[in-house]
Amino acid sequence: MSPPSILSDDLLRQLMAVGQVDIMVGVPTLNNAATVGAVVQAAHFAFGNHFARERTVLINSDGGSSDGTPDIVREASRVESETVLAAHSLRTRHRISAPYHGVPGKGTALRTLFAAADLLQARAVAILDPEITSITPDGVFALLGPVLRDGVDFVSPAYARHPLDGPLVSQLVRPLFRAAYGRRLHEPMAADLGCSGTFAASCLEEAVWESDFARYGIDLWLSCAAVAGGFRMAEAALGPRTLGPRVARPGLQELFPQVVGSLFSCLEMHEAFWAGRTGSEAVPLLGEAPAVAGPAPPVERASLIEAFRTGVTDLGPLLEQVLSPETLEALHALSRAEGVITYPDRLWVATVMEFAAAHYRGVMHRQHLLQALVPLYLGRLAAFHARAEEVGVDATERALEALGESFEEAKPHLLGLWNKEGGR
Amino acid sequence: MGSDDLWYKDAIFYELPVKAYSDANGDGIGDFSGLTGRLDHLQDLGVDCIWVLPMYPSPFRDDGYDISDYYGIHPSYGSLDDFRAFLDTAHARGLKVLTELVVNHTSDAHPWFVEARNNPDSPRRDWYVWSDTDDRYHGVRIIFSDTERSNWAWDPVSKAHYWHRFFSHQPDLNYDNPAVREEMWNIMRFWLELGVDGFRVDAVPYLIEREGTSCENLPETHEVLKFLRRRLDEHFPGRVLLAEANMWPEDVQPYFAEGDEFHMAFHFPIMPRMFMALRLEDRKPLEEIFERTPAIPDSCQWALFLRNHDELTLEMVTNVERDYMYEQYARDPVARINLGIRHRLAPLLEGDRRRIELMNGLLMSLPGTPVLYYGDEIGMGDNIYLGDRNGVRTPMQWTGGWNAGFSTADPERLYQPLIQNPVYGYQAVNVESQRRQENSLLNWMKRLIRGRKSTRVFSRGGIEFLRPANHRVLAYVRALDHEKVLVVNNLSSTAQAVELDLRALAGAIPIEMFGRSLFPRINESPYVLTLGPYDFFWFRLRWL
Repeated sequence: MSPPSILSDDLLRQLMAVGQVDIMVGVPTLNNAATVGAVVQAAHFAFGNHFARERTVLINSDGGSSDGTPDIVREASRVESETVLAAHSLRTRHRISAPYHGVPGKGTALRTLFAAADLLQARAVAILDPEITSITPDGVFALLGPVLRDGVDFVSPAYARHPLDGPLVSQLVRPLFRAAYGRRLHEPMAADLGCSGTFAASCLEEAVWESDFARYGIDLWLSCAAVAGGFRMAEAALGPRTLGPRVARPGLQELFPQVVGSLFSCLEMHEAFWAGRTGSEAVPLLGEAPAVAGPAPPVERASLIEAFRTGVTDLGPLLEQVLSPETLEALHALSRAEGVITYPDRLWVATVMEFAAAHYRGVMHRQHLLQALVPLYLGRLAAFHARAEEVGVDATERALEALGESFEEAKPHLLGLWNKEGGR
Repeated sequence: MGSDDLWYKDAIFYELPVKAYSDANGDGIGDFSGLTGRLDHLQDLGVDCIWVLPMYPSPFRDDGYDISDYYGIHPSYGSLDDFRAFLDTAHARGLKVLTELVVNHTSDAHPWFVEARNNPDSPRRDWYVWSDTDDRYHGVRIIFSDTERSNWAWDPVSKAHYWHRFFSHQPDLNYDNPAVREEMWNIMRFWLELGVDGFRVDAVPYLIEREGTSCENLPETHEVLKFLRRRLDEHFPGRVLLAEANMWPEDVQPYFAEGDEFHMAFHFPIMPRMFMALRLEDRKPLEEIFERTPAIPDSCQWALFLRNHDELTLEMVTNVERDYMYEQYARDPVARINLGIRHRLAPLLEGDRRRIELMNGLLMSLPGTPVLYYGDEIGMGDNIYLGDRNGVRTPMQWTGGWNAGFSTADPERLYQPLIQNPVYGYQAVNVESQRRQENSLLNWMKRLIRGRKSTRVFSRGGIEFLRPANHRVLAYVRALDHEKVLVVNNLSSTAQAVELDLRALAGAIPIEMFGRSLFPRINESPYVLTLGPYDFFWFRLRWL
């Protein structure tokens, strides 16, 4: 019996009508009625302003929204009357809004979009996050242009952000990705991206779509797959990033294991690629280098430190299975310190790498392991915030760069732990 | 107006320059005697009305649109008797004849202008628009901006400026002078009494000038045109006026007025959009222009064409669209002239028979009267290196023999060289050889025209676009009373499947009009058709 198709007959029929395209913009949604309209309109105007001659389609892959998201997508696409002459597309602009089949989650939505791109032989694909309302027509062009014009396969966004914004990325994901994969990306787990049809087709062949990656870590996996697959990459400067309002976003306790677990799993998947590499190289940035934008996000430093101390104390037996004695001792010393803690880069790098290796080696249930890293991350966050407050924005930027270098320098340590006999 | 008076709605028009069609006296220039001898071809093709390009005496500085005598025939084309013989022969075969009426201007060699410039006290002086300065009507656009710097030209003889919207050797007539209107009517009457069936009226928007306006489409201009139409209807009912106004359809609509100005007007913006839709493989440009086309009085009709004696004009497109058209259809910069492309139909479509057929299928099935350009029925080529637009005005290719059967003159004496390249040369592309081949373009065109004329749905019916999801397919229903025809065109170079929502036509049996093949009965389900590259279907819908 043949496996069930990921494309419904209705979607397939609509794709037949669209035929071959040059550009596909995909918008995966689930109850994004409040924000998706602005995103769709940005794509719509990008088609008119920048791709008047190209064959285009916008596909909304919806996870079963109950707030009227698909209707808003359709309505937002019908703004011909507002279209000025200069934004007039020569061709029919197709829009499809279709529910996806399969396991709920972004991975299934993306898989559907990539399958559509493959069938339509799209030369360039942009995936737009329905919550990032700051995307502009020029931003859409920035994601697609390098693919069409320069043969780039994967375009990652570079946002103008405050260095303390997105700390999970800046403290852990970005530097570990840099050290392991050898490429310096601003946003290794961005939800907006541009890619070639070739890259999309290649992703479809990978055995990730039925895994937890598909649900929680597909954005990160795409960046990893782009590097590991040897695809030509670029970054596009998109300016500040604004997220629209949303009813509920996952909290750190839920999000942290998803993100970090995905990154650790990527390392495992691409071990053969990264194990022998040293150093890192920048990815070509198209557009102006992202400036600092927005205020520093507020943190409850005292509660972070309290969570750190409690974690180190309560999770002692568990941490003993994961961390080296030196690292564990240093953490205990930190937890006993009065007032503001200092969590040095070297200690944080060691912590992360020892957790990554333990995750790989399966020293305990992975979910427990990842949860155990959360209080340590909170401690590091509190320490970094305190230091940033003292030194200012520019020095904080430099500190993040130094952190990346520290991760790179410690890569042999990671490899040593990774290849250690016993365990796995 | 009786139904027969609406003949122009059902007719197939055919545009030809006399000089290019057939040379009977062997001087290397086509003439009316030669044309008369070729009427078999036109009748056989299915043409109903011949539109003859300017045939008047002229210095020929603008291919005859600079007339020096409105009452004569250019000596190269023969005599008035030759014209009369042509007209009588055409009528005897049921063919109607339209001639050119250049109303806006004369040649500066016309005796009226010669008299006007030589004698300021002459009554002819006021037949033209004079000024002591060149700053009146400031800001009015210059149409031939490649060659002219101003709409005023200095006349050293009378030491005054005269107004001209086209070349400076074409002074504009002054229609504020009632005598000019009367004289134009006298000219019309002269030809109508000879028997012509109407006029293609050249450059109609520019007849009257007013300070502070664009001097185009003025109400006073419409008054002049209505005056001529009134006289026409009073004295020669059933004769027609066809307007040349290269404008957006909403701007042309006033020239139909309440059905009391022009019978017909060219729909210029459709033409480039047909080419654009074909290259884009997307029906959007055509749907958009039809959405923009207003309703016109029942007695009126649009005239549609694929190509004519001028360049493929790109005035009525956006800059983005023009760039695209140039890139797709005129990669050789020599092919570009003014705001357009000087190619014939077949070279534009790279000689692709399927695309030529599809474009003619569209021409014959969209609302309007089709106007064919001589030679396109056999897929003639062009020569863009002949200068101006002469490359699309080369001698008609009748045979593969001496001078393509056009003339017995020495080849060097022909008014223009024949097309001689291996692809489009007269040895390869000519009427005689295509007549002998059952599947030639010529014979296919005959079948297409027969199909078009087999029903008045195409000439008089309404149109409703179906807008299937597949944008490569342009589908519409033409309807007149109870008669309905479904037209489905694949604009794409690849095979296409399309689902049509034909619920409103449920129960009908589609019968393909050329082969009479029966197709499955239409029901409430989406009607699925598959079409090969550039295929098109015309289905007569029968409820049986």
